[in-house]
Amino acid sequence: MSEPVNIRLLQPGTRVVLEGGATAEIVSNPQDGVWVFARFLTSPDDPDRIGSEEMVFAQEIVEVGEAS
Amino acid sequence: MATTRKDGYRPGLVDISAGQVSREIFVNEEIYREELERLFARVWLFVGHESQIPKPGDYFVSGMGEESVILCRDRAGKVHVFLNSCRHRGMKVCRYDEGNTPVFTCPYHGWSYGTDGQLVGVPYFREAYHEKLDRSRWGLVEVPRTYLYKGTVWACWDSAAPPFLEYLGDFVRYLDLTLDGWDGSEGGTEILGGIQKWRIPCNWKFPAENFCGDSYHNISHRSVDLVGIGPSGTGRRDMRERQMARRLQVAFYERGHQTGVYLFPKDQATPPSYQHSPEVSEYFAHCEEERRKKRGEWGRLIGSPGEIFPNTALHPRQPRTIAVWHPRGAHQTEVWRWYVVDSAAPQEVKDFLRDYYIRYSGPGGMTEQDDMENWNYAHAASRGTIARRYPYSYEQGLGFETENYEWQGLRIPGTVMDITDAKSSEHNLRNLYRRWAEFMEAESWGELATWRLARAAE
Amino acid sequence: MDGNERISRLLLKQEVDEFLYYEADLLDARRYDDWLALLADDVRYWMPMRRNVKVDDLEREFTREGRDISWFDEGKQTLTRRVRQIQTGIHWAEEPVSRISHVISNIRLLEANPSWAEPAEVAVGCRFLVYRNRVETETDILVGKREDLLRRVEGELKITRRRILLDQNVLLSKNLTFFF
Repeated sequence: MSEPVNIRLLQPGTRVVLEGGATAEIVSNPQDGVWVFARFLTSPDDPDRIGSEEMVFAQEIVEVGEAS
Repeated sequence: MATTRKDGYRPGLVDISAGQVSREIFVNEEIYREELERLFARVWLFVGHESQIPKPGDYFVSGMGEESVILCRDRAGKVHVFLNSCRHRGMKVCRYDEGNTPVFTCPYHGWSYGTDGQLVGVPYFREAYHEKLDRSRWGLVEVPRTYLYKGTVWACWDSAAPPFLEYLGDFVRYLDLTLDGWDGSEGGTEILGGIQKWRIPCNWKFPAENFCGDSYHNISHRSVDLVGIGPSGTGRRDMRERQMARRLQVAFYERGHQTGVYLFPKDQATPPSYQHSPEVSEYFAHCEEERRKKRGEWGRLIGSPGEIFPNTALHPRQPRTIAVWHPRGAHQTEVWRWYVVDSAAPQEVKDFLRDYYIRYSGPGGMTEQDDMENWNYAHAASRGTIARRYPYSYEQGLGFETENYEWQGLRIPGTVMDITDAKSSEHNLRNLYRRWAEFMEAESWGELATWRLARAAE
Repeated sequence: MDGNERISRLLLKQEVDEFLYYEADLLDARRYDDWLALLADDVRYWMPMRRNVKVDDLEREFTREGRDISWFDEGKQTLTRRVRQIQTGIHWAEEPVSRISHVISNIRLLEANPSWAEPAEVAVGCRFLVYRNRVETETDILVGKREDLLRRVEGELKITRRRILLDQNVLLSKNLTFFF
């Protein structure tokens, strides 16, 4: 289990790794500390999610990468 | 004569024909709880001004009765009013006073709502709910009736209530005295930044009846009249209308709204005001002239305190304000006050008026401070078992009301009491309690919209 | 800061402490005319309202001086009228008179111009606790920060600017008939 991430100030363009190994890029951030809007880049469990834009819950984010 | 709950509201607690109202309706906690149901859940309430939420995503947290609501402009520009409470476990979804946001997210379990109220974020929707939760049924509770009028936003919980303009009836003319520019331009007003909010230890009906047009309590403000904070710099608080105008109290029996007005003579100009500030004086003189041109005979009217039933107070003259008396239990009121100025006024005029407003109104206001003291201790001294047995007197001017009042070619809508010579009456206060009692007894809007019954019978 | 400057600053701190405590004594003793004499003729007395706003929107926390509605935003003329109103003896919100105590603490000198040794103006920060008890049991406790600008006029300190930052959102007092 990785350290909890404060997603409040993550900038659009930042890449995040989710539980289960999917990766997504932040599209916009409502800065509520709970959700970000992100586009899926990879999704090992569910390839249909690739390219889709979803609200991603903070507790699902396990790692924050560099801004693209 | 002692009156108790057992006698019912009419004529027991509220005896308008005798001009008596029981103290119970101010201090009784059971009656208070009934008010929340029968009054605040059924009437139209003022919740804010569009200028507070100009852009998509802008919000202002307001109140309706005891409840917190969010006035919000969604991403498509539509104005909504939502109950500020998460559907999942009730937490406030917004604890800020105002701002701009794409979503309202509950800090407790993380449910998140769009600015249109739709539930858009549910943590572990796939895993924990197995995608079975019908999110379309769990959006924020939306106030079913809202109406935008000349920038003001009104809301009502009761789907059966008449539309806002029908709720107002011809009283809309008097609301216009607060919302139109001083020059008569339609809706030519804006809200100054900063909404005053403060608590008074009294029942909400004490300030409500005061703003209906309690023309009798001026003696209470003698201290401020002595030191002078009038817009002309010294002397009385008010302008010099009284010297030439008819002073009227206007009540709408079927609707519960009432106001004071000054009606000027047909062919005489309004006396100059704000004379120690040439720019302000000139602005108002110009506006007076314009208003007479734009509004014709109606331009002869200037408002004085009034109330849209039950708890939206209008103060159409300087200080121009809209106040809401939020109930906070039988023994406490939370006042919210918005300050209004002409949008088109030069900055110097706005600055002048703002200074005057602050030293007149609100907790720091040299006039209103004494009102708060009176309401506080009138309430406190009415709570006792013995005190409650003795009703308040509202007999002033009883029987001297006029229907179809007309003066120098202008007929005034509503039932009128001309107090130019009488100095004062309690005509408007009686009207507040007349309507209040009807609401407390009526089971539905079907009984309350009496004007519809009359129309149907014709 | 050399030794002389440090001594000058210390002496100034002592003078400012004494001044602010003396001012509080005047108010609590209801010596309002003497209090008015401590205010510069061009004094600005401002007490904004405070909003709950998001942490990244904190510049909107306070209503703006000279722009928005505030609890107080005024000068000596209206402060004098407030005093005169209390002195009429028929300002019912202060008659019977309230019992008031000003507790001033955390006094810090923020800045002196042009120098600590010869300050024409000194900016001072402090906390206030204003306790008001009136009639029988009515009690208000108002706590917050104050930022004062003091000016030396003919040797005496005068209050030139007072910013009063009350730590409340909905004002819990029914009125503000007293001074901070």
